[in-house]
Amino acid sequence: MSDLFAFNGAQGAGYAQPKPISEAFTIPVDLQRSKLPRWPRASEPEIVRHYTWLSTRSHGIDSGFYPLGSCTMKHNPRVNERIVQMPGMNDLHALAPASHLQGLMAIFHEMQEMLAHCAGMDTVTLQPVAGAQGEFTAMRCIQEYHREIGQSNRDKVIVPDSAHGTNPASAAMCGYDIIEIPSLENGRLDLDALRAVVGDDTAAMMVTNPSTLGIFEPEIAEASEIVHAAGGQMYYDGANFNAILGKTNPGLMGFDAVHYNLHKTFSQPHGGGGPGAGPIGVKEHLSDYLPAPLVVADEDEEGEIWFDWYSPPKSIGKVQQWHGNSGATVRAWAFYRRYGCDLEKMSEHAVLNANYLRHRIMNPSQEVLNQIHAMPIDGAPADVVKHEFTLSMTPVKDVTGVTGKDMAKRLLDYGYMAPTLYFPMIVPECLMFEPTETESKDAIDQFADDFLHILTEDPELVKTAPHDTPVKRVDEVWAARNLILRHPCDGE
Amino acid sequence: MVDQLPNLGREDEMLAVMGMTSIDDLFTDIPEHVRRVEPLDLPPPQTEEEILREARMLLDMNISVDSRPSFLGAGLYSNYVPTMVPMLATRGEFLTAYTPYQPEVSQGMLQAMWEFQTMVSELVGLPVSNVSMYDASTAAAEALTCAVRVHDRKAAQKLTIYVSELVPPHRMSVIHNYTQGAEIVIKTLPHDADGMLDLTATAAAEGACAVYVEQPNALGLLDSGLCQLKSIIGENTALVVGVQPVSLGLVAPPGDYGADIVVGEGQPFGIGPTAGGPIYGLFACSQPYIRQMPGRIVGLSRDSEGERAFTLTLSTREQHIRRHRATSNICSNETLIALMGAMHMALLGPEGLETLARRNAGACAATKVAVLALDGVESVHPNGTHFNEFAIRLPRPSADLLSFLDEECDITGGLDLSQWWPERKNELLVCATDQIDAEDIEELAEGIQDWLEGYE
Repeated sequence: MSDLFAFNGAQGAGYAQPKPISEAFTIPVDLQRSKLPRWPRASEPEIVRHYTWLSTRSHGIDSGFYPLGSCTMKHNPRVNERIVQMPGMNDLHALAPASHLQGLMAIFHEMQEMLAHCAGMDTVTLQPVAGAQGEFTAMRCIQEYHREIGQSNRDKVIVPDSAHGTNPASAAMCGYDIIEIPSLENGRLDLDALRAVVGDDTAAMMVTNPSTLGIFEPEIAEASEIVHAAGGQMYYDGANFNAILGKTNPGLMGFDAVHYNLHKTFSQPHGGGGPGAGPIGVKEHLSDYLPAPLVVADEDEEGEIWFDWYSPPKSIGKVQQWHGNSGATVRAWAFYRRYGCDLEKMSEHAVLNANYLRHRIMNPSQEVLNQIHAMPIDGAPADVVKHEFTLSMTPVKDVTGVTGKDMAKRLLDYGYMAPTLYFPMIVPECLMFEPTETESKDAIDQFADDFLHILTEDPELVKTAPHDTPVKRVDEVWAARNLILRHPCDGE
Repeated sequence: MVDQLPNLGREDEMLAVMGMTSIDDLFTDIPEHVRRVEPLDLPPPQTEEEILREARMLLDMNISVDSRPSFLGAGLYSNYVPTMVPMLATRGEFLTAYTPYQPEVSQGMLQAMWEFQTMVSELVGLPVSNVSMYDASTAAAEALTCAVRVHDRKAAQKLTIYVSELVPPHRMSVIHNYTQGAEIVIKTLPHDADGMLDLTATAAAEGACAVYVEQPNALGLLDSGLCQLKSIIGENTALVVGVQPVSLGLVAPPGDYGADIVVGEGQPFGIGPTAGGPIYGLFACSQPYIRQMPGRIVGLSRDSEGERAFTLTLSTREQHIRRHRATSNICSNETLIALMGAMHMALLGPEGLETLARRNAGACAATKVAVLALDGVESVHPNGTHFNEFAIRLPRPSADLLSFLDEECDITGGLDLSQWWPERKNELLVCATDQIDAEDIEELAEGIQDWLEGYE
């Protein structure tokens, strides 16, 4: 147990700094701070050991298999980290003149072009800093577009009930009313349900494809036609883009706007919750509304390429104060250069690994099957899945009382991160698995064997899991009831 | 061929297990009419060495604030991040983790964020902090929508907020984008000739949902009038204050003078200006706002054996539970950068923070003295007290001075204020942080002198 606030050494025990170059400053009397914050007083060796200890109580992709569905937890190549810590990156100022940022802008420009190409879009902005902010930004562009063409009566956004929670939340933040449509029994988009709700008040439909069940929507082009016929726009949630690079793209499916998760598809590390990056791409009719500025390339008389900032004429303005998460853009650039045209191979392997894992779990040997109390069932029927898949633990729960959450907790004992739990909400007792393309066959085999083994274990052992983690099952209700949101700092 | 795929060459073996013969068998579900016909038109894969070489070449084309005297701040600040910080924060267990949905194997990051919340809370003088927003502008914008949710029911001025006219336009643009959906009306609060908030005009904000001001403001001015603001606007109007967090080593925390929500740019703690991202927004509030606040929050709890444990809490505010009724759409935030900030704050300690603030105030004061000593340069706010930055008035457009300093002297001179407010075309915002030394100041003063003489 290491407590940061227990460090209370001598003043100045920590980090020595050069002296101020002048003491000839004043702070207005009423504004002078009377008591310094009760921060720890610790030396570098103590702090290093504290955070190193904390790191041993955390689990990243580097620690082990991380099949967290919808989050695309792939390996993060380390050279990408090295690049963003080099001079000329982390010491750049966003407001410096364009002549100071030519290298960065070259990377931005290449990323704008590459992302547009991969998604079949016309124009890309790198400004949104997270997937949810990308959604919000695109819905703002659609909103301004409708206002401009005299259709501000379009105030409804349609989402399937399998959608990520951010979709309705982002649209609602723009002021839209949300219409949620139920999925078909088999988890696919229900076109009749869609037809029943579209109309001249439809602003847009937001769809994830492959869906959050990991299934490619067979009637996606037809859904686009229905929405377009009603005068609405189609928005593509790019959370699952990792499955389809080189095979199809949102433009071909009829989408008008997309967001990309650079922290999923393009391996920006998730960092325990962020940073992410959520650039958006749009078709031409929405391009003039994108947040400012974009990077454009000009050629001077001598044929030299020169990059400049460009503000779209009807821009919605800004969604982040600067140029988005530039560091994430640069990491994603390095990642993309690593793959180049093999991004298609990346998607192939993501899909191969997901289908292989699903097959291994759902087809145990007879010997293992004989010992299993009950098998999970598919969250949705499918011959093949894309980069992820869902299983329902309902049969297991019915037979043994072991819930999806219990399974998730028991997997932690085996050194795995749990799959995504209880999402999408349309699958009861749902576990969602996404191995990504960077897991080896051996790692997937081992995980499948361990998962099946848990299904043979004493249900009591599973229900009381985890047992071998830094702490046992955490009481989330107690936390919400007591709301102890900071250290008391009363050790002084 | 790309080198990142462990199962290259094992495809057939894996396909055979599934009774398949080709990768194409895995994509039969994509309807013919939406399939891509042409392969991706992208270059062949590169090796790590090739990428590094090209990255170095491209980044070398940039001119950074660390490579020359730089007096450009305006919301992003040159700083020194102790070596320990990036080395520790990029340990794989932190770097490659997702949001800690499984607290049993995420205690390290959860505890680090709980400690972060504590240090931010102490810094700004409010009881609760979240785990970070995207940046200062989104933190300010979401503070305002949060305040509207809390106060609108009883507000005399429905859906109305008041914002200082000195909030820079790019931040205002973010605020506009985030508030227009809820049909929030934004009114502006004027300032006097000294750049101080016009307190008599602030009486108009009584009965509104929120007031947003900054300390120091965008022109670097400290305004002690803000201490009276809460008593003017009253209990039912949220006082939201944006801060430069380093200043709080010397300046009173806004919680002490009645702020209900404090936001700001965390960047000076933990990471360089990094072209504006990833950085992190600070968001702290008092008790009445907790259930309406955006973002992740870590709470102390206990495990099934009664041992101390941490977990994300108050999730019922969030989009993955509440969907379109969530307090915000925020999901990914800037945790890793907040972790860097926490490490930096922990290493500084209370006295280190004070020293850092003194270094910033001292550098600003010394720069101001040197620049204002020049004939032809005037202070825009001669009666003002400044932190980090100050505005000067020149006989000619500041854009011209900036080009001269850039091209002739290798100095980044500051921000041409007409970029924010077109009428201020002869005004320059000069920033000096702890990274400015006496020699830099001398060079700046000489450069300005040369430019002034060149026009005479």
